Amino acid sequence: MHAAGLLPAGRRRALAAGLVAATLAVVSAGCSVANTTSSDAASPNTLRIVLPQEPPTLEPCDASLTSTGVVVRSNITEPLVERNPGTGDLEPKLADSWQQVTPTTWRFAIHPGVVFSNGKPFDATDAAFSINRTLDASIACDVNGYVFDDSKLEVTAVDPATVEIRTPVADPILPLRVSFIEMVPRTTDSTDKVRIPIGTGPYMVDYWDAGQKLALKANPNFGGTRPEYTRAIYQWRTEGSVRAAMVTNDEADLATSLGPEDGAGDLGVAYTNNETTALRMQATEPPLDDIRIREAIDHSINRTGIVKALFQGLGTPAAELVAKGIVGYNDQLRPTSYDLSTAADLVSQAKADGVPVGKQIRLIARTGQFPKINEVVEVIQNSLDKIGLNVKIEMMDTSGQMQYQIRPFPKAGPVLLMVQHGNQAGDTQFTVDQYMLSEGYQSTYGTTAYDDEIAAAEAKTGDARQAALAQVLADEPAKIRQYAYIAHMQAVLALSPSVSYEPNSATGDEMRLAEMTHATQQNNA
Amino acid sequence: MFTFLRRRMYTSLIPLLVVLFGVFLLARLTGDPTNLYLPVSATPDQRAEFAAENGLDKPVWQQMLDYLSGVVHLDFGESLKTGQSAASMALNAFPATLQLAFVTMLLAVLGSVILGCWAAYRPNSLADRISSLLSMTAASVPDFWFAITGIWIFSVVLGWLPTSGTGSTLAWVLPIATLMIRPLGVLTQVVRGAMVSALSAPYVKLARSKGAGDLRVVTHHALRNAAAPALTVAGDLTVGLVNGAVIVEAIFGWPGIGKLMIDSILQRDFAVLQAAVLLTAVSIFVLNIAIDAGYALLDARVREKVTV
Repeated sequence: MHAAGLLPAGRRRALAAGLVAATLAVVSAGCSVANTTSSDAASPNTLRIVLPQEPPTLEPCDASLTSTGVVVRSNITEPLVERNPGTGDLEPKLADSWQQVTPTTWRFAIHPGVVFSNGKPFDATDAAFSINRTLDASIACDVNGYVFDDSKLEVTAVDPATVEIRTPVADPILPLRVSFIEMVPRTTDSTDKVRIPIGTGPYMVDYWDAGQKLALKANPNFGGTRPEYTRAIYQWRTEGSVRAAMVTNDEADLATSLGPEDGAGDLGVAYTNNETTALRMQATEPPLDDIRIREAIDHSINRTGIVKALFQGLGTPAAELVAKGIVGYNDQLRPTSYDLSTAADLVSQAKADGVPVGKQIRLIARTGQFPKINEVVEVIQNSLDKIGLNVKIEMMDTSGQMQYQIRPFPKAGPVLLMVQHGNQAGDTQFTVDQYMLSEGYQSTYGTTAYDDEIAAAEAKTGDARQAALAQVLADEPAKIRQYAYIAHMQAVLALSPSVSYEPNSATGDEMRLAEMTHATQQNNA
Repeated sequence: MFTFLRRRMYTSLIPLLVVLFGVFLLARLTGDPTNLYLPVSATPDQRAEFAAENGLDKPVWQQMLDYLSGVVHLDFGESLKTGQSAASMALNAFPATLQLAFVTMLLAVLGSVILGCWAAYRPNSLADRISSLLSMTAASVPDFWFAITGIWIFSVVLGWLPTSGTGSTLAWVLPIATLMIRPLGVLTQVVRGAMVSALSAPYVKLARSKGAGDLRVVTHHALRNAAAPALTVAGDLTVGLVNGAVIVEAIFGWPGIGKLMIDSILQRDFAVLQAAVLLTAVSIFVLNIAIDAGYALLDARVREKVTV
């Protein structure tokens, strides 16, 4: 080829000039990245937190969503009463006290002098508005279905210092339910969800760069003890190893939802959270409609091995769907034994009785739901294969998996669904209503007798309630066996040496920034 | 030239339409977004209302017609998650990807020219071995592995670079290095091959016999003729960068179109996903035409072929 076919000199120079100009444009922009509008200089009074995902919303009435609650609850907004995650006791927050004046009537005495971040005072009218707004079905608040089960309540402000709630039937745990309702001003949109919430908490939203960053700053009108950190910057990274590296590299002070192998090293802090993992067996579809098959599956899970080898000891084998510390937790239950021989015998018996044990069962799990989930389902599938069942693994993202987790369920044949449930409320009722009642939002199967047992237990109070709910949990494997429980989980977060913070079982759902302080040398030692 | 460009535009419209329809249908095959946007207790009425509000209650073919009708009027719908215009979200994210792709390709081209020329001029030298190693690595190692390994080595172990984000100039290094590996490896081999041929061509021997120095022979004689195939491959690689950007942006928290795509897929934010993919496809379409035009400008034989 001859050089004559190339660009003339003039065009070459123009092309080169264009390239140089474009390069200079990038460089002269100070290497600033497009689509980034807010920047925060690092400061000793700024907390830098990295989460696995961006909050889908900051709407306070959706605070029961983990990724929303972890930012909003007790940071931006506050409830009338709150549950102490350590003791399980309800403690005053925006209400000083509460009492059951009749079996169906509760009164809450509002703490005086509280002011919202917008400067407006908080009183019983705001409290009544917040509760009614949360219960308003047209807004479709997550808290409503999760905590109130769409109950119809009458809520009124008796006077500026008293709010009264009337229930259709006696509700012994109403204050616990109310602890889920975040207080917002009466001026909040009552017909739609809000993007930037106003609350009484120690922090308020500074800015929210959707997809990038969320910044909170100290609420100047907060009446309580001022938090040590005046700002908090939330970022999100999907990769656990990246989140851990951000803390070890001093780009973040705290990273959540880490696995044991994400590389947090000495900065990793393990703590018991509320979460329990289990396989939900769709007992309405053959061969899972035969309780022997469900029992066989339960016997096929090597819980001890999974916890030891895959979770590196961060967890304990589970025998029920709620964890220690929850009202109703049954400390007498023991995990189902890992016994492949018994499991294979049960499958053989069922097969002899005409149960189609060869029918393919779909084992559905959510990618990234908890560390090592892929390996866990592979181990389980391998065991089920050994006992003569035909199981196919299907890993899905959140949206795909949720179609199988929440009613209305698709017609999809027999499904084993990996679920992870965290009871944030502290009472077994919130678990069994969702996961064990025949028509529970996340339950595929039940019986009328078991539903009645649940209802009777939920009507009780005090020690009788504890005993009855514990019996409900004990009866599930014996009478229903919709679940094969796997493990009560532990979580890992990475914490900078410069921050002092003690995570607790509620940290994953409600991470209180005000509890974080500057670490001293002694703390670090 | 205009005939050539017109032909290329017509032939490129077909894949563009395939992308338009394909993304629309595939997005809907991933399932109903209702569970992501409504609480678990949502009643059938609330679900129906959500579906009606967002046009999800209609048959897919009707949704498609509505979408196409919107596209004709430059209305790409609204984000389910934020309520913002899908087009504005995509347009806001795109420059960050362009920045990343531009700097990456610029450095890859410069690096490949230097390495490729050196390797061709000194066969079996260190440069030749480096270029071979680069191409093998580029062909066999996935981007996410480079990204995670890079973070581990340069951020965690050495502490030289930030792990992710966009807060400083150093934040550019790992994303660019990760994205650059593949084009640098491939281009180096292309330049090397083209230069080997060019250096043995008669006009190069003639230039040497006239007393031209080594550097002048390489840069003024051989490289000119080796540029055309390298330019074509560079164009294809630039298109490929968009695919790499999806992974790299997600890992490094880079606010570009790739990250927007991943986020919108996970959120089943159909309108945003469609707008992001369409914008990317149109950009690739324009880029391909620009590459072809550049190639035609460089090579008279191409011009002659297309204008016949």
